[in-house]
Amino acid sequence: MDMAIETFNLTKKYGAKVGCAEICLRVPRGQIFGFLGPNGAGKSTLVKMLVGLLFPTSGKAILLNRALGDTEVRKKIGFLPENFRYHDWLAGQQLLEFHASLYGLSGTAKKRRVSEVLDLVGLAGKEKQKVQTYSKGMRQRAGLACALLPDPDLLFLDEPTSALDPIGRKDVREILVTLKDLGKTIFLNSHLLSEVEMICDAVAFIRQGKIIRQGLLEDLRTSNIEVEMKVGGLTPALTAALSTLASSIEMEDDLVRIRVKQEADIPRLAALVVTGGGYLFEMHRKKSTLEEMFISTTGGGEEIC
Amino acid sequence: MLTMMGITFREGLNRKVLLISLILAVIFLGLYGTGVHYAAKSFNEHPNPILAAVVYPQLLSFGLYFGGFIVSFLAIFSAVGAISAEIETGIIQAVITKPIRRCDYVWGKFLGLGLFLALYAALFFIVIAMIINVKTGLVLDGQWRALGLFALQPVVLLAVTLFGSVVLPTIANGVVMFMLYAVAVIGGMVEQIGWLISNTGLQQAGIVTSLVMPVDSLYRKIVHLLMRPTDNPINALQQMGPFGSMAEPSVWMVVYALLYVVFFTGLAAYAFGRKDI
Ligand SMILES: Nc1ncnc2c1ncn2[C@@H]1O[C@H](COP(=O)(O)OP(=O)(O)OP(=O)(O)O)[C@@H](O)[C@H]1O
Ligand SMILES: [Mg+2]
Repeated sequence: MDMAIETFNLTKKYGAKVGCAEICLRVPRGQIFGFLGPNGAGKSTLVKMLVGLLFPTSGKAILLNRALGDTEVRKKIGFLPENFRYHDWLAGQQLLEFHASLYGLSGTAKKRRVSEVLDLVGLAGKEKQKVQTYSKGMRQRAGLACALLPDPDLLFLDEPTSALDPIGRKDVREILVTLKDLGKTIFLNSHLLSEVEMICDAVAFIRQGKIIRQGLLEDLRTSNIEVEMKVGGLTPALTAALSTLASSIEMEDDLVRIRVKQEADIPRLAALVVTGGGYLFEMHRKKSTLEEMFISTTGGGEEIC
Repeated sequence: MLTMMGITFREGLNRKVLLISLILAVIFLGLYGTGVHYAAKSFNEHPNPILAAVVYPQLLSFGLYFGGFIVSFLAIFSAVGAISAEIETGIIQAVITKPIRRCDYVWGKFLGLGLFLALYAALFFIVIAMIINVKTGLVLDGQWRALGLFALQPVVLLAVTLFGSVVLPTIANGVVMFMLYAVAVIGGMVEQIGWLISNTGLQQAGIVTSLVMPVDSLYRKIVHLLMRPTDNPINALQQMGPFGSMAEPSVWMVVYALLYVVFFTGLAAYAFGRKDI
């Protein structure tokens, strides 16, 4: 498959402190990729390396088939930094024109593209106003507009919706999905798991600088299914039989909560109860949210060294 | 690079420091003009050609000396955070991730600010030269070359300050640059005194400081260009005092200053090219 991003043991150390360590990622073109992890995990560090703000301590990366550090390839890369600060003495339109020139646009192409992205992010009509007078959310929209200027094939967004209201968030989600439908690749750092869940194809979890889990969202979901059953006539033998399928099991009176690794195990559980002489009163699959996954993979307290 | 140059130039025009420098310049030139006016008036009423021949050039060098002060002030203040402040605020993050090379970013900044400062200095020089010329009728030789050197002064400061702005935080850079500038100014004075009392130790100290920071020797060169020493018995008197120039810096000093500018800007570009933001 054609990869938009590939990294090989990419590592950044701040002195002795680890920013991120031995990151190996493969993001195919046309995906929305969610990069998740707690504060200080190293998400921004990775993005900054990929966009060329930081120089890796070791390791390699390839973006759109070009080695990291190639300036030409940046014509097709958009980036929205975490803190979205801009030359705020410029008016919105001037700001975008400046960034468009940095991307090498000029003349009418520049004018046209600037008004397109202004429309896209919902700042049309505000372009004559100085960026200084923008609200935080408007600034973030302006930042997103800058990132969209070159009609990028690869878009890095470091928490793009942190300052937006619910409608703004929805707008951004729609923009991202539209871009994806056009075949663009989006690399998204975010804490807002419900959003990630709605739009991402694949995710990676990072903790203390290391990737601890990655995969398609769908696979991750089905590899961690929680089933809740109400069972009458539970015997120790039946419990033991159920435990063989479970990655974890919890019991409260006749309520049994079991985690299984694949969907095919769900009917097997039912069969076990019946053949083991139990009475199955109720059984349902709990939808595993990304949030639970996030907490179970990145939380848990245990140190990963 | 041109885009960076353009935005930097516009930024210079937008900054408060320009406004303050303009106000300072107007106050200074107003006072200076008044001073020259009354000096010229009293010489017109009680003609004393010998004294006038000493005082007029002194007035001129006085004007250029303090004019250089104001221009240098503007140079340091406008360049002190040219890069570091953008790093500190994070403005830079969306800029250098664009398809431009990092050295183009630095050279763009240099050219934008350099153009802005050189224009400001040139304007300043022209006003002072006109005040002197109109009021005292003093004919200035070599004024175009002097103008060029006067405009070079802030550019020299800009180059080092820009380098400082890559390797130091804004505040630290400001402190270092003002110290460096003070060294140049004091070094220049010391050298003058050295020539006056023929003390080679002091003269050499002055030469060393002008190698560290050649701004002051550019000023001395300007004074020489404007007041030709040839067949002028009172030239020694004209060049006396802290604002004069008893020993003309050679043309190599100018070459040195130009190399100095290229060297420090190049060094800034090099250091910036490997910097983590
Ligand atoms: N310039 C720096 N110097 C030293 N350490 C740094 C620097 N920048 C980041 N770090 C450290 O590197 C680690 C990763 O930081 P990073 O900014 O990548 O986290 P993050 O995952 O983006 O967090 P957040 O969710 O809060 O944005 C943190 O422990 C941080 O303290
Ligand atoms: Mg971050």
